[in-house]
Amino acid sequence: MDCEKFDRIVLDLLYGELDELTEAAAKRHIEHCSRCKGVSSGLRATREVGALALVDPPDSLELGILEAERRMNEKLPLGKRLGRAVSILAVYAMRPQLAMAALLLLMIGSSLFFLRARPSAQSSVLVTERGIPETETEHVMIQPVPAPREPPVAAAAPRPAGAKTEAVAARDRETEKPSEVSAAPTAVKDDATKGAASEGDALAAAEPAADSMDAATAAFQSGRYVEAQRRFEEIAARGGNEAPRAALQAVEAIRRQGGCPAAAPRYQDVHIRYRDTPSGSEAAWQAGDCYRALGELSRARQSLEALLEVPEYRSRAQAALQELTAREEQVASARKVKAAVGAAPAAPPAAPPPANAKPAKPAAP
Amino acid sequence: MVRYQRGDREAFALLVKRYNKQVYNFVLRQLRTPALCEDVTQDVFMRLVQNAAEFKHEARFSTWLYAIARNLCIDQLRRLQHRRHPSLDQPLGDSTETRTLGDSIASDHHSASAERSATSSEVQVSILRAVDALPDDQREVFLLREIADLPFRDIAEITGVPENTVKSRMRYALDRLKQALCEFEEYARALR
Repeated sequence: MDCEKFDRIVLDLLYGELDELTEAAAKRHIEHCSRCKGVSSGLRATREVGALALVDPPDSLELGILEAERRMNEKLPLGKRLGRAVSILAVYAMRPQLAMAALLLLMIGSSLFFLRARPSAQSSVLVTERGIPETETEHVMIQPVPAPREPPVAAAAPRPAGAKTEAVAARDRETEKPSEVSAAPTAVKDDATKGAASEGDALAAAEPAADSMDAATAAFQSGRYVEAQRRFEEIAARGGNEAPRAALQAVEAIRRQGGCPAAAPRYQDVHIRYRDTPSGSEAAWQAGDCYRALGELSRARQSLEALLEVPEYRSRAQAALQELTAREEQVASARKVKAAVGAAPAAPPAAPPPANAKPAKPAAP
Repeated sequence: MVRYQRGDREAFALLVKRYNKQVYNFVLRQLRTPALCEDVTQDVFMRLVQNAAEFKHEARFSTWLYAIARNLCIDQLRRLQHRRHPSLDQPLGDSTETRTLGDSIASDHHSASAERSATSSEVQVSILRAVDALPDDQREVFLLREIADLPFRDIAEITGVPENTVKSRMRYALDRLKQALCEFEEYARALR
């Protein structure tokens, strides 16, 4: 330490504001420097001699201050008092213990709020699952489909003439798609059944969007009915304008997989749900078609009678009902003959599934 | 002070008991008018009461208290700017009174503290005269250091000047006192 630095710290040394190291260095410097020693001792002597004697204040001062404080608190306006109270509360509120306690209460409160109550008997909901689970459906697809349920197209004789074309026309009106597209499923399905995996991959790659009608239709056309059914059902579940058509197409996919036994009740569901739409009417028609194919004539009649109110289907429904009446009369006469013969061999089944029943042509999207 | 902020008025009594003597002496030496210093000291504590909620404990309480005292003294000195303050040699009371203010301060009536007491009233009067003769800025620093016992850093904060400036003023003040008290230096050596 040199004298210049000592001059800068001499007052700190005098009043004991130096750290230990600097103080030791300063004291070592004083031992060797007579000038700085003189400065230091002169200031120390001045401080000691010049120490001010503290005068005792009058006794009344302390009492006066306390009295003034009491009066001031009494006269404090309401706003100031509130401010002081808030200030006092703020002092408490800023304590970490209180903050921790508040946080703990908040956590407990929020956990109670979000805690889910156990379901009671009243809150339980009965759900009826209809249809076949996807995995089982796939399993069903592996099994051979009974021949009568998949008749050739040319054998669809029982249907009234022109009915098919009218149904397709109704779907075409609904989907507003070119008629060429409606012919596509058959061709694509043929290709798919030939095992053209490369084309299937190409179709999958050509899907415009995972959740669109086009993707579902592409799946249907390429023979991936499970996927098509799932996609159509998802679209129907979302609702909107496309929901009726998607629901009908989903049932078409089911029909392709499981035939009329699986599809008929679903057609009825679609008809009930979308009664006032073309898809709902078409579903009723297809339900009647399926029930006729299955020999459930009363249900077929029920579905067809619902179409008498729909102008586009009225004539077809009347014709189909007439046909049903004729079949019912045939069955009744057969029963009479059976009853008359008595021990005669068993009559043919009351409602044999017609060999020429044909599932409806899938609607073009 | 924390207790008082929470509404404990007993704590305020403790604060008054602890600080009123030092504040009173600081005000007395700043104003050099005994008649005013009692009121000013009371005002200091009232200002403390008024602003208690605003004290954030970011600085030492004593620093805050002496900042209030200093500001009030400055206000008071401005009011007294054109008045003659009483001299230490000025007789107290009426003209028949022979005791001076200096005598009064150094008298036995005002008992000096044990640590800081000077042993002779003559020395005390000389000290007080020397302190009164200091320039305002030096006297202010000297009093804050010697009476309030504040570190230089806090004095710098109160006065609003750099710490080195505070030390420089203190050094000048001590040098002036040294010159004023040179006649008592022998006594100082005896003390050592």
